[in-house]
Amino acid sequence: MKTIIGSFFRKRGQMGAEASNTTFLVTVLFVAAFSCAVMSWMLWWFPYHLFSDETYNIVVVNAPESFVEFNKASQSYFDNRAEEFGDRKNLIRNWQHITEFEYNFDGYGQTEFFYEETDALYDFVTFGKWMRKNDAYLTVVFPKDFDEQVRARQEGKTGEKPQILTYFRTNSLEYADMREEFEEVYLATYQTEIRADFGLAITSVSDAQILEEPLEIVDTLNGRNSFGAVLGRTFIPILIFVILLYASMSVGTNVVAGQKERGTFTGILLTPTPRYVIVLGNLIGVIIKSVIPVLVIGVLAALIARAFNIFAILSLVAYIIVLAAFIASITILISVINDTVVSAQTAFLPIFLILVAACVTCIQSVSEREDFYMFLPVYGQFYGIGDIFVGQLNYYGLLFSSLSTLGLTAIITFITIRLLHSERYTVSIDSVDAKAAKRAREGGGLSILERINKLTDNFSYTITEIFYPLFVLSFYQFLALIPVVISDMRKPEYSMFIQDLANVGSVGDIINKTFEIFAIFFTDPLFLSMMTLGYAAILLTYFIHAGRVWKIKGFKNKVTACGYPLSDKKHIGKHYGLGLLFGFLMMTCTVSIMFITGQLTFKGGFTFSLAGVGVYLFNLLMWFPQGASEEIMFRGFMIPAFNKRYKVAIGVAVSSILFSAFHSLNAGFTPLASFNLALIALLFALIYLYTGDIWMTSAMHTAWNLSQGNIYGLQVSGNLASNSIVSAVYDTNANPLITGGAFGPEGGLATTAVTTIALVIVIVLLVRKRNNAKTEFAAKAVMQANPDTKPDVNA
Amino acid sequence: MITLTDVHKSYTKDHETIKGVSFEVKEGQIFGLLGPNGAGKTTLMQMISTLMKPTSGTIEIDGLTSDKDLLEIHRKIGFLTNEIKLDPLSTPNNLFNFFAALYDIPKDELEERKQESFARFGIEPFANKKIVELSTGMKQKISIAISLIHDPPVIIFDEPTNGLDILTSKQVTDYLLELKEKGHAIILSTHIFSVAEELCDEIAMLVDGKIVAQGTVDELKRIAKADTFEKAFFNIYVEHHVE
Repeated sequence: MKTIIGSFFRKRGQMGAEASNTTFLVTVLFVAAFSCAVMSWMLWWFPYHLFSDETYNIVVVNAPESFVEFNKASQSYFDNRAEEFGDRKNLIRNWQHITEFEYNFDGYGQTEFFYEETDALYDFVTFGKWMRKNDAYLTVVFPKDFDEQVRARQEGKTGEKPQILTYFRTNSLEYADMREEFEEVYLATYQTEIRADFGLAITSVSDAQILEEPLEIVDTLNGRNSFGAVLGRTFIPILIFVILLYASMSVGTNVVAGQKERGTFTGILLTPTPRYVIVLGNLIGVIIKSVIPVLVIGVLAALIARAFNIFAILSLVAYIIVLAAFIASITILISVINDTVVSAQTAFLPIFLILVAACVTCIQSVSEREDFYMFLPVYGQFYGIGDIFVGQLNYYGLLFSSLSTLGLTAIITFITIRLLHSERYTVSIDSVDAKAAKRAREGGGLSILERINKLTDNFSYTITEIFYPLFVLSFYQFLALIPVVISDMRKPEYSMFIQDLANVGSVGDIINKTFEIFAIFFTDPLFLSMMTLGYAAILLTYFIHAGRVWKIKGFKNKVTACGYPLSDKKHIGKHYGLGLLFGFLMMTCTVSIMFITGQLTFKGGFTFSLAGVGVYLFNLLMWFPQGASEEIMFRGFMIPAFNKRYKVAIGVAVSSILFSAFHSLNAGFTPLASFNLALIALLFALIYLYTGDIWMTSAMHTAWNLSQGNIYGLQVSGNLASNSIVSAVYDTNANPLITGGAFGPEGGLATTAVTTIALVIVIVLLVRKRNNAKTEFAAKAVMQANPDTKPDVNA
Repeated sequence: MITLTDVHKSYTKDHETIKGVSFEVKEGQIFGLLGPNGAGKTTLMQMISTLMKPTSGTIEIDGLTSDKDLLEIHRKIGFLTNEIKLDPLSTPNNLFNFFAALYDIPKDELEERKQESFARFGIEPFANKKIVELSTGMKQKISIAISLIHDPPVIIFDEPTNGLDILTSKQVTDYLLELKEKGHAIILSTHIFSVAEELCDEIAMLVDGKIVAQGTVDELKRIAKADTFEKAFFNIYVEHHVE
C-alpha cells in the first residue's frame, strides 16, 4: 500500500489529458469561491486588526446634548469621589467604598469618551478607524435627532423608539462583557436620568411613563462580530467543501480512470497486490493530496479568525479529514466505474452539484437547524466547521457525524473493491467479439448503467451551459459591488437604506429596496465604471473560455465559438452600425406608440442637465460592454453550444427563456415583462442566426438600453438611468399594461407590438434566405459552428 | 506448468468467442499461439493471465487457479501485451522501483536485477529519461524488462516483437530462448512466421475460437501438406474458417 500511496507523490509533469469543460468550470468555481472569501475577509478583518490590547475608551457618534451632559455630570461625580481618595486608582483600590454601579461603569478608572459626528450610521469601516485612533473598544451611535425623537415620543407624536447602535471590538472576549455592562448600567442609568434630571423638559406624567420603556439598543450590526459569524458559518465551510471537492476530483479521477485511459492500470492489477490494497492505497493518496491545501487554508483561517485553542484546531482537522475521506471514496468509486478522465469528471459533476446544493441549504438554515443534522454526513461537517469558526465546539456532533460519515465511506469503499474484481471495470475489451457485443448492447436497448451515464452526461452538459452565465454574471457583479458598497457606506442615503432594511417584510419590499439602492448607485460614477469593468471582465472570461473549449466542442476556431467573427472587417462595421440604428429605431417606435396613445408626455422638452454630464458619459460607456456581454452569454456562446448536442430550436428556446429569467429579479417585474423579454431574446437569437454573428445584436442591445434610459429617460428592465436627453413621464392615466409600469417599456404591450413586427420581418428574411441557396451566409456560419445540425429556424 | 481444460468464453449469450480450448505448456517449452485477427488469441491470453475469467473450463498455472490463488498466480506469471502501457511521465528507473515494490522484491536483489536487465537491453543511458521521450523499441524493451521483473516461471507474451526492427527483435528472441533454457514455460502469440518457426516448440492454430491444428512446425507442415510454414498456416485457415 505504501508503494501505491507513494506513487501520488512522485515528481511528475503536467498531465497530458485534455482539460474538460467540467474541469474548467470547477476551476473557475473554485477560484471564485476563494476570491469571494478573501474579499469578504478583508472587508471585515482589515479595519479591526490594528488595535492595541487593552482599551477602555468609548467613541460616541452623534451624541445628543442630553447624553453629553449626562457624561459630564457622571465624570465630575467620579472626579469628586476620586478626590476623596486621592486619585481614581485609589478609589478603585478601596472598592468597598464604591457602589456596584460606580465600579461597573468606571471600574478601571480609565474610560474616556470621544465624540464624532456622521450621517452614516452603518459605516463600520469608519467606526473602526475612529476606534483605532482613540483606542476605544466600543462605538455608540445615536441617530442625529435623538433628543427630538425622544421628545416626539414623549409628546405622543410617534410610537417609534429611537435606536442606539453599538459596535464593539471582538478581539477580546472581555469587550463583549464590557459592552453589556455599559448598556445595562450606564445607558440604563442614562435613561432614568433623562427622565429625571437631564436635557429633556419633562412636563407631564404621561411623558415620563413613555420613557419607562427601555431604550431599544440595537446590536444587530456589531461590526466584526456578526460579519465574522456569517463568514465563519458560511464562507469558510463552503470554501473548504469546494476546495476538497475540486482537489479530490482532479486527483481521484486521474488515478484509476486516468490510469485506465493511459493503459497503465492493467500492469498494476497483474502484480500480486490485493484489490483492496489498490483501492485503499488510492483512497489514502487522494485523501492526503486533497486535504493538504484545505488544512493549510483551514488552520490559517482559524488562526486569523480568533484566538483558537488546540481542541478547536484538532476538531477542525478531524472534520476535514473525515469529509475528505468521504469525498475521496466517492471519487474513487466513480473513477473505477469510468474509463477516461473526462467521463469520470463528467460523472462527478452531478455529485459536485448535489454537495454544493447541500452546502447552500446549510447556509440558509444555519440559524434554525435541527440538532440531528449535526450527526449526518456532509451536513454534520458543514455545521461543525461553521461552529468551530464562531467558537462553539460540539464533541458529540463531531463524534457522531464522523462515525456516520466513516460508515458510509466504508460502504462505498467496499462496493468499489467489489467492482474492481469484475472484469467489466478492469479490462479494456477490444476483441472483435467484445466490440460487437458492446454494439449489440447499445443498439438493442441500453443497460441501466449506460442509461444513467447518458442521462448524467446530458444533465451535466446542460447544467454547465445554463449555469455558466449565471455564475459568471453574479461573480463579477459581486466583485464590482464591493468597492461601491465600501465607498457608499459613507453616504447618508445608504445609511437610511440600511436602516429601512430592518422594516422589510415582503418580497415586494425587497424588490422596492433593490430598486432604491440601484437608484443611488446609478448616479455614482464609481458604480458605473465598476459595472463597465465587470461587463468587460465577463466578455474577457468568455473569450478565454471559448479559447479553452472550442476544440473540445468541435468548433472551427475560438472566434466562431463565441459569435464574434473578425474575418470580414466591413461586415463588423456594417452589422454594428445597423444594429445601433435598429435598436434606436425600435425604441423610438415603442416610445412613439406610447406617445401617440397618450400614455406619456415629455416633461419640459430637453431635460439634459449639464451638471450630470460626467455621470452621463460613464452611463453611456457602460451600455456597450453590457450589451456585448449579455449577447455573448445568451446568444454567441450559448446557442452554438446547445446546437452541438441538440436541435437549433432547443438552443434558441433555452437561451430565450434564460434571458427572460435572468431579468426577472429586477424591480417591477410582471408576467408580461417576462414574455416580452423572451420575445426580444427570440428576436435577437433569430437575428444572430440570420447574420451569423452577434455584432448586430450586441449593437441593438446597447442601442435599445441606451436610448431607453439615456435618451428617453425610461426604466431599463426596472433600473432608472441617471440623466437623459429628454424625460418621458407616464401620464397619470397611463395604463401599465401598455407602458410596463415600474419595469419600463419592456413590461408593456407597446414593446410586444414593436418586437412582434420586427420578429415577423426577421422570420420572413430568414425563410427567404433559406430558400435562396446562393446567399446562405447565415446557414454557413451556423454550419461552421455546428457541422452536424442544419439550422432549423422554423421549429 | 500451464494447463487449459475445455475453456469457453462468451461476451454475449448467443455467441462464444472461445469454444473449448485445451492445451498444456511444460517447463522449458515455448508454446506458440497463431491465428488471424479476431480468432480469440488476446482473449485467451487475458484469461491465462487472470485478467478475465473463463465462462467455463479451468486454467491451472502450476496447479493453481485464479479463483483461489489469484495473487500467488500473479507472482508466477509475467504478461506482456500492447494493452499494458508505461506511465508516459515516469522514468524507466522509477517504474522499475515501483513495480519491484509491488512485487515485494528486496532492495539488494532489485539493484542486481535492474542492472542486469538494463544492461541486456541497453536501457542504462535512458534510465532517467521520461518514457514519453523514448522510441517505440526502447519502450517495448522496458515493457519486457518490467514484465519479467519478478523472474516469473510462466511467461505470456502477446506480440513481443511487434513494431521492432530486426536487431531489437533478435535481442528479444535470443532472450526468450535463454529463458526457455532456464526452464521457463512460455506462451507466445505472434504474426511473424519466422519468429514462430524459430522459437516455438509447439504451435496451436486458433481459428474462430477453436484450436484447429496443434504440433511442431514440421507436423503442421505435414498436416497441411505445404512446403513452407506460411503456406501451411494459409491452408489450415482456409480449411477451417466458416464464413
